[in-house]
Amino acid sequence: MKIVGIVGSNAELSYNRKLLQFIEKQFGSMFDFEVIEIKDIPLFNQSNDQTNSAPIQNIHRKILNADGVIIATPEHNHTIPAALKSVLEWLSFNIHSLDEKPVMIVGASYYDQGSSRAQLHLRQILDAPGVNAMVMPGNEFLLGKVKEAFDEKDRLKDQGTIDFLKTCLEKFVKFINVVTVLEAPKKEAAKPEDLHATGKVDTTIEGVDMEADDWLEQAAELVDAVEGNTYVKLDRGLLTVDQLNYFLSSMPMELTYADSNNQFLYYNHTKPMEEMLAGRTPGQVGNPLAKCHPEKSFKGVEWVLQQLRSGAMDSVRVNVPTHGPDKFVVHNYQAMHDPEGNYVGVNEYILDFKPIVDWYLEQTGMKLEGNVDAVSSASVKDEGETVDAVSGASESY
Amino acid sequence: MQKFIGLVGTNSDRSTNRQLLQFMEKHFSDKAEIEIVEIKEVPIFNKPADRTIPEEVAKIAKKIDEAAGVIISTPEYDHSVPAALSNALNWLSYGIYPFVDKPVMITGASYGTLGSSRAQMHLRQILDAPELKARIMPSSEFLLSHSLQAFDKDNNLNNQEHVEKLEELFADFLTFVEITNQLNHAHALNKKAAADFSWEEI
Repeated sequence: MKIVGIVGSNAELSYNRKLLQFIEKQFGSMFDFEVIEIKDIPLFNQSNDQTNSAPIQNIHRKILNADGVIIATPEHNHTIPAALKSVLEWLSFNIHSLDEKPVMIVGASYYDQGSSRAQLHLRQILDAPGVNAMVMPGNEFLLGKVKEAFDEKDRLKDQGTIDFLKTCLEKFVKFINVVTVLEAPKKEAAKPEDLHATGKVDTTIEGVDMEADDWLEQAAELVDAVEGNTYVKLDRGLLTVDQLNYFLSSMPMELTYADSNNQFLYYNHTKPMEEMLAGRTPGQVGNPLAKCHPEKSFKGVEWVLQQLRSGAMDSVRVNVPTHGPDKFVVHNYQAMHDPEGNYVGVNEYILDFKPIVDWYLEQTGMKLEGNVDAVSSASVKDEGETVDAVSGASESY
Repeated sequence: MQKFIGLVGTNSDRSTNRQLLQFMEKHFSDKAEIEIVEIKEVPIFNKPADRTIPEEVAKIAKKIDEAAGVIISTPEYDHSVPAALSNALNWLSYGIYPFVDKPVMITGASYGTLGSSRAQMHLRQILDAPELKARIMPSSEFLLSHSLQAFDKDNNLNNQEHVEKLEELFADFLTFVEITNQLNHAHALNKKAAADFSWEEI
């Protein structure tokens, strides 16, 4: 289950941000939680529609892909901050991200009352027809006297408060399930992926057969691509094409790039196919992704691409246990974005983690233990020294 | 003649709340001077640690300081006041306190039937916050519904009942300003209380 937490303040120092960060640390095992900021969102103005700007589209996409939203609001002048109201106005103008989305309200304040009036206003606002969120009733979480509420590690001090927060969050998870039933049938899933790359993006090179073995040579000639000792200006650096190749070839992993049109464009060609963790041949470059995978795996490939393109997940990891017990091979699919936040393709890296884990154990003197309780790992994680090697290592890479 | 500020509660180029204030400015010109003040140029409030007030905000604060009273006309966005108005009020209560004990009349216009009624209730609560502490005219409401159809081509309210109601409310407001001026014994104290008020130190 994926939940996003919206920091209802654009201030540098915000205890509401701390509260959400605490939820992320403490209850990370209950759901996948991401804290998002509203700092970059401009003040709403209906005469200057900025719905399509990157900050608004980003928050829109994240909310759409979440199962639920937790909003943490401070109180300014007996109501919610203008910055938060402004975000809600954008999200109820030409787009309706929160429509029927389960929402839980929390709040922190310097004073005793814990943003109680702001929370009541927020309920009314979220109930407006243009917003139409499904706000969880009851379970009001008001964190007062915030200056004394956190310890130096930004953890809530009071166990009673932590327990109550846990109860509220557990109910919210149930509430999300109830709302999901209410809203059935489920909304349309992500659009189907075109693994045959029949579309076209800005960088698609037309006029060369995608499936040709010498696609690279033909396409490079067509666009007059530079090579060898020619310089390429990068962000941030200046390298020759040769240097770029040395650099990418020295990466201790197999790297692949497929663009947003699902065309396979690159892999760091350092070994023959038989020696690779996942075989690639030079002739495959330029192919549509459908040509790089057996047909029986199309459904899986499509699912991964949908997660990345829609923003539901930024990375998908799969352990492929076909290389024997002395290896721990992970295929990592990472969404790539341009500076505006648009999806521009997938970076796949394939890596045997085993040597890294072994090295980690050797360096720290820790040992692997079997039968580790997966649930406890998230809360153990932030305690540093006592971290369990298995969960710690696999989570930090 | 007394001078008033008519605060347009939106940053939108097109606003029937602005029209309403413009109508009042014209219609009551023999009774009072109403200056329309815009909040369009006010930057987004982010609680700066050094409490520097943007020039645009300082200008508005000065006008409010010098005015006998303020008429705020608010639209309703999502059951509440627009972020732009809330934003302006955030600034106008951050280290400066122009609204303390200032007589305020609330009006509002909306395209639909409700005439920004819920936004007006929120606005009352907001203006009552310790750092704003305005004197809001009690038991009075001017809700202009279906505001797109409410004005003729010369920007006059085309419904005589609306005009009469507004006239009576404005007469009340002038009286309310007089009374409020007599309710000034605690003014210095109120101003100090607002200035001393700090959520951090309660």
